[in-house]
Amino acid sequence: MVETQFDKKMKRERIISKINTGLVIIFLILVTLIVLYPLVYLVSAAFSPGNSISSLNIIPFGDGFTIEHYRRLFRETNYLNWFKNTLIIATGTAFSTVAVCAIAAYVFSRFRFPFKKGMMLLLLILQIFPSFVGMVAIYVILLRIGGLDTLWGMILIYTAGNVPYNTWLVKSYVDSVPRSLDEAARIDGASNARTYFQIILPLTKPIIVFLAISSFTGPWMEYIFSKMILRSNENQTLALGLFSFVTEKKNEFTTFCAGALLVAIPFVFFFTLTQKMLVTSLSAGALKE
Amino acid sequence: MIAASISQDGSSKKKILISSLLFMGLGHILYLKQYVKGILYALIEVLFLLFTPTVYKKIVGLITLGDPHPELPIKQRDHSMFMMIDGILILAVVFIFILLYYLSVQNALSDYKDYCATGIKAKNKNIFAELGNKSFPIVGLMPMILLVLFFVVVPLIFSACVAFTNYSAPKNIPPNNTVDWVGLDNFRALFGGDATWSGALGRVATWTLVWAFFATLTCYAGGMIMAVILQESKIKIKPFFRSIFILPYAVPTVVSMLVWQNLLNGSFGTVNRSLIALGFLDKSTVIPWLSDVTLARFVVILINLWAGFPYFMLLTMGTMTSISNEQYEAAGMDGCTKTQAFRYITLPQVLYQTMPLIIMSFTYNINNFGAIFFLTGGNPIVADSTITSARGTDIMVTWIYKLTITLLKYNYASVLAVCIFVVLAPFAIYNFRRTKSYKEGEL
Repeated sequence: MVETQFDKKMKRERIISKINTGLVIIFLILVTLIVLYPLVYLVSAAFSPGNSISSLNIIPFGDGFTIEHYRRLFRETNYLNWFKNTLIIATGTAFSTVAVCAIAAYVFSRFRFPFKKGMMLLLLILQIFPSFVGMVAIYVILLRIGGLDTLWGMILIYTAGNVPYNTWLVKSYVDSVPRSLDEAARIDGASNARTYFQIILPLTKPIIVFLAISSFTGPWMEYIFSKMILRSNENQTLALGLFSFVTEKKNEFTTFCAGALLVAIPFVFFFTLTQKMLVTSLSAGALKE
Repeated sequence: MIAASISQDGSSKKKILISSLLFMGLGHILYLKQYVKGILYALIEVLFLLFTPTVYKKIVGLITLGDPHPELPIKQRDHSMFMMIDGILILAVVFIFILLYYLSVQNALSDYKDYCATGIKAKNKNIFAELGNKSFPIVGLMPMILLVLFFVVVPLIFSACVAFTNYSAPKNIPPNNTVDWVGLDNFRALFGGDATWSGALGRVATWTLVWAFFATLTCYAGGMIMAVILQESKIKIKPFFRSIFILPYAVPTVVSMLVWQNLLNGSFGTVNRSLIALGFLDKSTVIPWLSDVTLARFVVILINLWAGFPYFMLLTMGTMTSISNEQYEAAGMDGCTKTQAFRYITLPQVLYQTMPLIIMSFTYNINNFGAIFFLTGGNPIVADSTITSARGTDIMVTWIYKLTITLLKYNYASVLAVCIFVVLAPFAIYNFRRTKSYKEGEL
């Protein structure tokens, strides 16, 4: 008697849990559809005939498949040149950001000096401002040092913009490396520079790699500064080039999608591959409790 | 020449201090016999002294911002804005010089201390070795200080200064005309003095706060719900769903926002056309997704949820895995249901750990230029848009951008930037005081 009641209860629970799982799966599929919705159109527009969004079939790939837009990008536009410029800017930004932030973070983590607290706080306050708030002044400063319409000018701006936040990010990571390690090295007579390059740098490699990659990806779709600084035709970047397809005057949405897709694919790869690192650096990074 | 002898018992500290203060590097040359270093320091001061007239001129320029000379050709007139930026730049250079001066005195004193301890005047000490060791913190920080000073601090100070000038179109745009300091006039105009402008400011500021609040809340709640469902459910293809859900985070915001903008276009966007094809809509009654103010605001927050929930999903997942299993086992033994376990174990801990990030995300959203600019461009137009350039979904930063680029009202744009600073700085300070290193008194 007691057992059968127990059996009934178990049965009921199993049914409930099955219904629950069913509901969860339905919900997840629903969210998947919403998440994929614009992305499917991005991909389909890149390979669909026609120009503007109005000519795009509402069924993805409904009008067949074409690589016409890619042919156009590579033959009729400067896509490769835009790509090259952006690549140079991104690489330069990644290198200089790492070089500047990594050492500054080490100094902030391991040395005591006057105004340290003030400087850390200043960096934290500065990082809340988007760099373009000071764009008029940045423009004039670049004009003074001859950096207008140059790729190195862009690298300089991007790096400076990256520094405040990322110094904090790397600093919290360096904080987690035990001090006993560098103290031991120092007792053995290693100089500060040597301690850094031989002990700390290898141990902080994950965050350095993350920093390098994230500052590499930043410039790819940056629009405001590129538009302001890079005027001449041969210095255009991807963001500028691609945006010229979707201005208010002309709508070549499909060509924009084709070009954007080529940029987005490496991004997606990077994010999927570095999921774990992302989580730790996002949460443990800047301001860990 | 002064008798350049120092004692080893530390009593000559004053001599070193005074001589180093007198002229950069003097202490090094006279007493410590470190000629190379001393001469390098002295050269810096000589250079600086040579430029003193320029420094003076630039600072005067910063104060006066030039005089109007309508009789001169445009190229020879005073360019107020260049004068202002140059003035601030020069102040930054003076700051660097004072810093170097301070460092040189410190260096002389510390070298003297070394001499007292070892009895060796390190006159042949390799400067490179010193750069790699004792001066490493300074060398390591210098690039950061210079970059941040000249490309972040100076522009922001300039921007703050412009708030107190009349730098705006059409009357005060250099080089044709000069710009003058006007005190708090701009603040007065924006905070009540000019009905149109203060009305627009009130509207945009309110919407910015509402936007930032809901953008953060929806993304946080959405991300947490997805994380909990993925974590708790017993589905085998969890990693598959997770990989799909981070896609919005992986695609550059600019690209996804522009795609959404096109999909949601009222007359020829795919969303409306699909609804018509499915029979939900009539051709004459399309939904004005981005052209009705209230609806556009909803849509902006919803699309931001689409783009922003993966970040918080990843974050919550990371925090959830760090909660030990023992707590759940203990709760299970006490007869806790899953809902209760979530309510009393998971939620408080996740909330506690992600609190600083919620605040950071709020400040980020206040300045979330991309989510608004590339989705709606600030549209739709409202009553005061033609005068103020602020449209229905514009937030403070997008308005700043428009004031700068299209209206050339630099002064008002700067007032807005100052407002953002006043509102956001306390958040930054709050976060700062919560950090581990601050709490441990290390800073």
